[in-house]
Amino acid sequence: MAVELAGYREWAGRRRSPWWTCWPIVRTGLNMILRRWIFWVLIGLGLLNFLFNFAFVYLKATLTVQSEAAGGFLDRYRVTGTGEAYADFMFGQASITALLLAFAGSMLIGNDYRQGGLIYYLSRRTERRHYVVGKLLTVGAVVTLITTVPALALYAEYGLLSNSLDYFLNHPRILAGILGYGVVLAVVQSLLLFAIAAWVPRTVPLVMTWLGIFVLLKGLAEALRAIDDNRHWLLLGVWDDMHRLGRWCFGSLEAGRIPTAPQCLGVLAGVCVICLVLIVRRVRAVEVVT
Amino acid sequence: MAAIMIVMALIELENVTHFYGAVCALRTVTLRVEPGAVGLIGQNGAGKSTLLKILLGLIRPTSGRGTVLGLDILGQGLELRGRVGFMPEAESLIPGVRGVDLVALGGELVGMPRKQALRRAHEVLSYLGLEEARYRRCEEYSVGMKQRLKLAAALVHDPELLLLDEPTAGLDPEGRESMLALLRALADRHGKSLILSTHLLGDIDRVCQQVVIVDRGALVSVGRIGDLRSKCRGRYRLRWHGQPAEFLTALRTAGVNVLVNGRADEAIVEVPQSWSLRSFFELSTRHDLTLRDVVPQEEDLEELYHRVIRTN
Repeated sequence: MAVELAGYREWAGRRRSPWWTCWPIVRTGLNMILRRWIFWVLIGLGLLNFLFNFAFVYLKATLTVQSEAAGGFLDRYRVTGTGEAYADFMFGQASITALLLAFAGSMLIGNDYRQGGLIYYLSRRTERRHYVVGKLLTVGAVVTLITTVPALALYAEYGLLSNSLDYFLNHPRILAGILGYGVVLAVVQSLLLFAIAAWVPRTVPLVMTWLGIFVLLKGLAEALRAIDDNRHWLLLGVWDDMHRLGRWCFGSLEAGRIPTAPQCLGVLAGVCVICLVLIVRRVRAVEVVT
Repeated sequence: MAAIMIVMALIELENVTHFYGAVCALRTVTLRVEPGAVGLIGQNGAGKSTLLKILLGLIRPTSGRGTVLGLDILGQGLELRGRVGFMPEAESLIPGVRGVDLVALGGELVGMPRKQALRRAHEVLSYLGLEEARYRRCEEYSVGMKQRLKLAAALVHDPELLLLDEPTAGLDPEGRESMLALLRALADRHGKSLILSTHLLGDIDRVCQQVVIVDRGALVSVGRIGDLRSKCRGRYRLRWHGQPAEFLTALRTAGVNVLVNGRADEAIVEVPQSWSLRSFFELSTRHDLTLRDVVPQEEDLEELYHRVIRTN
């Protein structure tokens, strides 16, 4: 080992606020995902969906200029510029994100508990809250980049390809819907992933738990509803609750139909609180810094 | 008027106690350690890791108070960790991240701006001989390289105090030698204070001037190694030229206890209280033996450790 301490230099710069440490945590997490080809396959799927919709909107705009009827004909199929269409698009993107997070959760969060990465963070000028916020922002950023940002891009494209800015002016609810749905997806998925990955850090059990919550609970909810003939059982399906709430943000949820948006919000808030408790307990546990 | 120089304590703890549930990990530890290289010794479960975590401000002691570098361990943990570098025993690396990025991340996590952290990461990795491996992912490093990488991450923000938990664990003899040389240089040439927690007493003997010994959660001894080493009264190492058989028999007859006689030309002996040094020379002359050395024997650190533990 070459020891060249003759050139050892001291450092005495100004230090940033501890909240700044959230940004390198986010950047490192995103880099870890982008450096693995397996995640590029899933990102590619999302990108494909986005490009398809992007092209469709462009085609529709082009055809509408030539013939209003041709443009209207395309409305029956894909992006129609309505809230429902964006909700569908974001639902598709969210499915891809959920799959990506199932596999990335172990690497982003689980390894901190399995391989001592947590002490790497906590032994610095970083407190537990900075670490937790940094990790939540990482997952939130992944969700936002795959769901909300492409939806916003489509919204902008749709509006800009029309002849005037009327689309933006007449559909402010869509913008609020995209942002609202995006926030719901980012908050619920990041808290849920953090809580699961912190307690079930290995990849395979994590994927099984993650998919179990989204797929098994959905199936169970539908089975119970069929047996009991009570639509309140549907609230058990966390995955559907997110999307019902998302549709409500766009204004496309059927009013009065059970489960209602406030009920879904209540369930999701409960899930988030449970996740937060689990996260705090895990991060505070003494043994994790041993 | 005589000039009085007050040296600020590196660590000052007062009645620090820590419980994990019902288990007492540290019991009313009170100590004062001066700046320099300090060895932390104790058996497994003695409370070393708990003490390190408390010094780092990672866990709050159940009771008691203290300061590290003049900063309160209870209320200034964040600032404290900005001035302390920690090299844990566990791997504590982030798989999938390149060496240089990991070290730079360590710098950013103590508040260094990105550019400076990256530049400093390159510098520190070069000092530690990881220049060519810096773009490899952490999981691809060998055990020795991982140790150096952890040290680089601890050094990146140029801390005043380094907390090192088993820094030579898993290193081959050459790597261990280099690591110890590096730690010595950091302490001697660059004025860094070190807390070196290890089971290898030889490492402490070669790097540290002070030692803290803990046993079953209690502080057993603290101080300068030189001061703690009691010169064993009446114990000498003898070296000679010639045939020793008759000389050694004569020593035994005179009540001298010959402790070690592994080599043909030396022995360690323990003499009775009334013994005079001149008697060695008289006996050697009588038995045609030339004494080359008569050196009072000091305890080595291992003997010191066992004696202190036994006494307590």
